[in-house]
Amino acid sequence: MEKATMKALIAGAALVGAAQAAQADSRLGAVLERGSLLCSGHNGSFLGFAEVDDKGTWKGVDIDLCRALAAGLFGTSEGNLEIVPISWAQRWPALQSGDIDVVIKVSGWTQSRDTELNLSYSRPYFIGAFQAMAHASLGAETMADLDGGTLCVAAGTSTERSAAAYLEAKGIEAELLTFENGDELRNAYYEGRCDGQVEWAPSLAAGRVDAPDGAENHVILPDVIDLESEGIIVPEGDPDWLDVQNWMLSSLWYAEANGITSENVDEIRANPPTATIEKFLGVTPGYGVRLGVSDDWAYNMIKEVGNFAEIYDRNIGKDSPYGLPRGVNALYSDGGVFFPMIID
Amino acid sequence: MTMTAETAPATVHMQEPDLLQRIKAKYFATRIDAIVSVAFGALALWIIWSLLNWAVFDATFGANRGDVCREDLHGGACWSVVSTRWRIVLFGLYPFEEQWRSGLASLVMLGVAVLSCIPWFWSTRRLPILWLTGFAIFYVLMRGGWFGLVEVTEQNWGGLSLTVFIFAAVSILGMPLAIVFALLRRSDLPWISKTMALIIDTIRSLPLLSIMFTFAIVMPFVLPDWAIGGKLYRVIVGYALFFACYQAEIIRGGMQALPVGQEEAAKALGLKCRHRIGYIVLPQAFRNALPPTINQFVITFKETSLVTIIGFFDVMASGRAASGTADWNFAVIEMYVFVGLIFFVFVFSLSRYGAYLERRLDTGRR
Repeated sequence: MEKATMKALIAGAALVGAAQAAQADSRLGAVLERGSLLCSGHNGSFLGFAEVDDKGTWKGVDIDLCRALAAGLFGTSEGNLEIVPISWAQRWPALQSGDIDVVIKVSGWTQSRDTELNLSYSRPYFIGAFQAMAHASLGAETMADLDGGTLCVAAGTSTERSAAAYLEAKGIEAELLTFENGDELRNAYYEGRCDGQVEWAPSLAAGRVDAPDGAENHVILPDVIDLESEGIIVPEGDPDWLDVQNWMLSSLWYAEANGITSENVDEIRANPPTATIEKFLGVTPGYGVRLGVSDDWAYNMIKEVGNFAEIYDRNIGKDSPYGLPRGVNALYSDGGVFFPMIID
Repeated sequence: MTMTAETAPATVHMQEPDLLQRIKAKYFATRIDAIVSVAFGALALWIIWSLLNWAVFDATFGANRGDVCREDLHGGACWSVVSTRWRIVLFGLYPFEEQWRSGLASLVMLGVAVLSCIPWFWSTRRLPILWLTGFAIFYVLMRGGWFGLVEVTEQNWGGLSLTVFIFAAVSILGMPLAIVFALLRRSDLPWISKTMALIIDTIRSLPLLSIMFTFAIVMPFVLPDWAIGGKLYRVIVGYALFFACYQAEIIRGGMQALPVGQEEAAKALGLKCRHRIGYIVLPQAFRNALPPTINQFVITFKETSLVTIIGFFDVMASGRAASGTADWNFAVIEMYVFVGLIFFVFVFSLSRYGAYLERRLDTGRR
């Protein structure tokens, strides 16, 4: 045996040892030991991202990401995933106290959350724009036309802060009216309590479809008040657990980029076209073990929930009632901003 | 003999006014009376008519008819949302195949509530046994894990059954605690009664929501690991404490209304302390305090809906989840009306029962 190989082996062994030691106090170790993942749900529903179907089962983009994570960790999410209903305000304390292992709840990456709240963000999995919708009868074409009016906004969210900052920066004098609950906010707007409502664009689009006086009486103004990157959140100082989140998202994009879907994953696994895909699907070892999970974790994930496009289309995209175009949330090759990381 | 003349029964026949005359005398005596009556009558009719129009005549009934409602959003109520998604409101996230358990458990609790209205159960032994047995059956059915029932953890409880569970648990835990608090508050030793008064006043001066938040979120950081327990149980303990403090003051009010002689007489007869309290003081205190006690129960039931803020899937949150989906997002009001009706049925029967109790106990006193 050559010296270099020997050295590499020793270094490798040391690394594996270190990884295993670190895993002991990581949330990853705790989750694997418990045999189930506690993922964030919702106290009610958030259209497209966490909803309840007729049989009382959760569905939505965030829920599918929870399922993908559980499937990756345990082979299947069936019996290994608990969706814990939590409110918006409660998500950070619940994460710190261990009521949940991970927050997947369309939560924006803001500086105060990142630093003062001691949270770690994964790469974003969704880019949400804050926009305003106004009554068409006002004839407003941009936010500036709402000068002197009233805007409804959800209380205590990053939307509220962004809207206030935007109005200040643009010198628009509009009153912000805050509401605790989404239904209340929408109704206040539809009843004409405010001239416009500032919301996350996907919610605006979903709400506009169901406007009581018809969608044509409402316009979504083109001004992008802010762009928010929604990521998966784990407690700070847990790099192993964060790695798993990042590579889970990357795997979903990798599968999409390479045309691997929940339907053809078995075929592709049987005849992998490239060595990297062979490794990705766990035919050859390495892709999972480095993270502290099994090598076929990506295969299990794709098999159960599909790649990122399947998750998107099923819940908010073209196969859902919302029909939200993918836009900036598509892969780079389709004009979006997302791409998988390199598997080596 | 003027006496006989004076005491002779008067045989004047008062003519009973018929309905029309009574209405005239009451509502149309003067011109202003007439105007006010007509105006308010018309207003009431208009409100009732529009309500009926919305809720019945223009409404859409039957399951899975969302597309029919959607075509005519200006029309009446879309009760289709209730027919399609009522299970979510009643059972929340409880596994679909096991929902009969959740329903049965709620029925058991309802049965217990009805049974405890029967006077035969009103003894210090029978009533607690009845409630504890009912509660145990409820818990076993809901939680499972025994007798071949699939285990369903508290995370998945929801809907009306969760609301009933929280209400029942708070009452069962809070009532004995309230009695203890009230007795300690009336202790002869000043340091005990003063400390108790301080505790009661402190907790009463905090809003319920902040107490729930503290127990749900702050407690896990403070308590040792073995004492943390489930979030649901921490919140129930916090709520029970809150309930007990209010109820203790109500019971104390009932006790203080008792004449001092009662307890002194009991002492003179040589009754032991627990007999004095159990047979003389408490029964009478409860009778005195019945109206505010019923009131407290009503408030407690209604305030269970606060738990939705700390992320429980109670009947309120389930209602929101039931309408919060692409297919039904327009039918929010119908869902709130349905949830409101559920609360109304519970609270109204509770207060009717309270009124019945008051009548019954009042007869006993005479």
